[in-house]
Amino acid sequence: MTPGHKNTADVIASLALAPVPRPWRPDMVATVLLVTAGLGVAVYLWMMGLRPGLGASLKDPVTLAKVVLPLMVMGLALPAAVRLARPEERPALWPLALPLVAGLALVAVVAAATPVAAVGTAVMGGTMVKCLTSILGLSALPLAVALALVRQGAPTRPVLAGALCGLSVGAGAAAGYALGCAEDSPLFFVTWYGAAIGIVSAAGAVGGKAALRW
Amino acid sequence: MCWGLIARMMRDAIPALSPMGAAGLTQLWLRGGAKAARFARSSSRMRGVVLDRPDAWESLLVAANAGDARAFGRFLVAVTPTIRAVVRARGQGMDADSHEDIVQDVLIAIHLKRHTWQPDRPLRPWLYAVARHKVVDAFRRRGSSVHLPVEDFADVLADDRVSDPSAQLDAAAVLARIDARSAMIVRAIEIDGATPADVGAQLSMTDGAVRVALHRAMRKLSDLVRGGVG
Repeated sequence: MTPGHKNTADVIASLALAPVPRPWRPDMVATVLLVTAGLGVAVYLWMMGLRPGLGASLKDPVTLAKVVLPLMVMGLALPAAVRLARPEERPALWPLALPLVAGLALVAVVAAATPVAAVGTAVMGGTMVKCLTSILGLSALPLAVALALVRQGAPTRPVLAGALCGLSVGAGAAAGYALGCAEDSPLFFVTWYGAAIGIVSAAGAVGGKAALRW
Repeated sequence: MCWGLIARMMRDAIPALSPMGAAGLTQLWLRGGAKAARFARSSSRMRGVVLDRPDAWESLLVAANAGDARAFGRFLVAVTPTIRAVVRARGQGMDADSHEDIVQDVLIAIHLKRHTWQPDRPLRPWLYAVARHKVVDAFRRRGSSVHLPVEDFADVLADDRVSDPSAQLDAAAVLARIDARSAMIVRAIEIDGATPADVGAQLSMTDGAVRVALHRAMRKLSDLVRGGVG
């Protein structure tokens, strides 16, 4: 061994004496994330108010889907993201296609029943900017927290892990935002909730590439 | 009364979930089911019988993560030869000092991330995932190519022309020893100076396929020459 190179036996000896890292607790990670995202949503809804007639509107299955589909995405993406923090884990990702297919099917059915001239107006809605900025704003802090937590683990697929963090956080924010949003056409909410969740996922992928190296 | 009975029946039917209730369900949600874990565990144990004893590694790391410094030292000493072998296999053409630096990087990563191993899961998949990640990362940072099939580099491969005239003569002499198509490609490009695209048009092969064939033929030729045939 040339000078300047440490002896491997010395490295091992110093590592053996180093303090043991704190255990990795996936349930704690999930709890912290849910609380962070939930608090943000709660403050937002407290300031902006729930939509009028929330209870009655949720009896309509299409309006219910506005809350349930993002919740499904979050419920599937969050465990996958947390599991990816372990180096050897390869969680199945196909279940994530289910809410996506359901959302697209909803759009197709409603679009087919809408006069062609009215489809564009229905997609654009009246609160597109508010919808996008709110979901993105609600996602920013939880996404940073998610990346910081997953960083404590050992993700060997940083881009995918970051994207899944973004997906679950964005979907959680969208589900919360849905409680205050009165636009009930799937043409609107699948499009713009989907776009917002997609942007947060992309931000998560970029952030993961940078932040989840080790 | 009726609900209590149903609840008791369910608790008997799903012993894995009942003792922990909601906590158990959360666990199942976050870990993606116990079936995969059981499968991985049993397959690793079967491999373990044939190879050296991973159970010993596992118990060393369990003790180490509970705070036993000596156990962690023994664990690192025990896994180092395996890691060194992986690094050597991947990093051919790199000097021994660089290899040892990468081995040390992997050992440090094992220490920093040892808390992400779950004691109820097999150790080897975890260990290999950590080692692989650090080894790939180290080679990428050092700008050296990680081992990948040659097809992936078809478009990047330079035309490896022979610069030494005597080597060209040797190559021409040894061309008869490889198959006719490869010999034709080598002769056309290396001796007649044709471009891979020309040869590809002639043989109805893509440009990239010609480069790959050329690269392989040149390697075969140099092996033949080095083997004392030429």
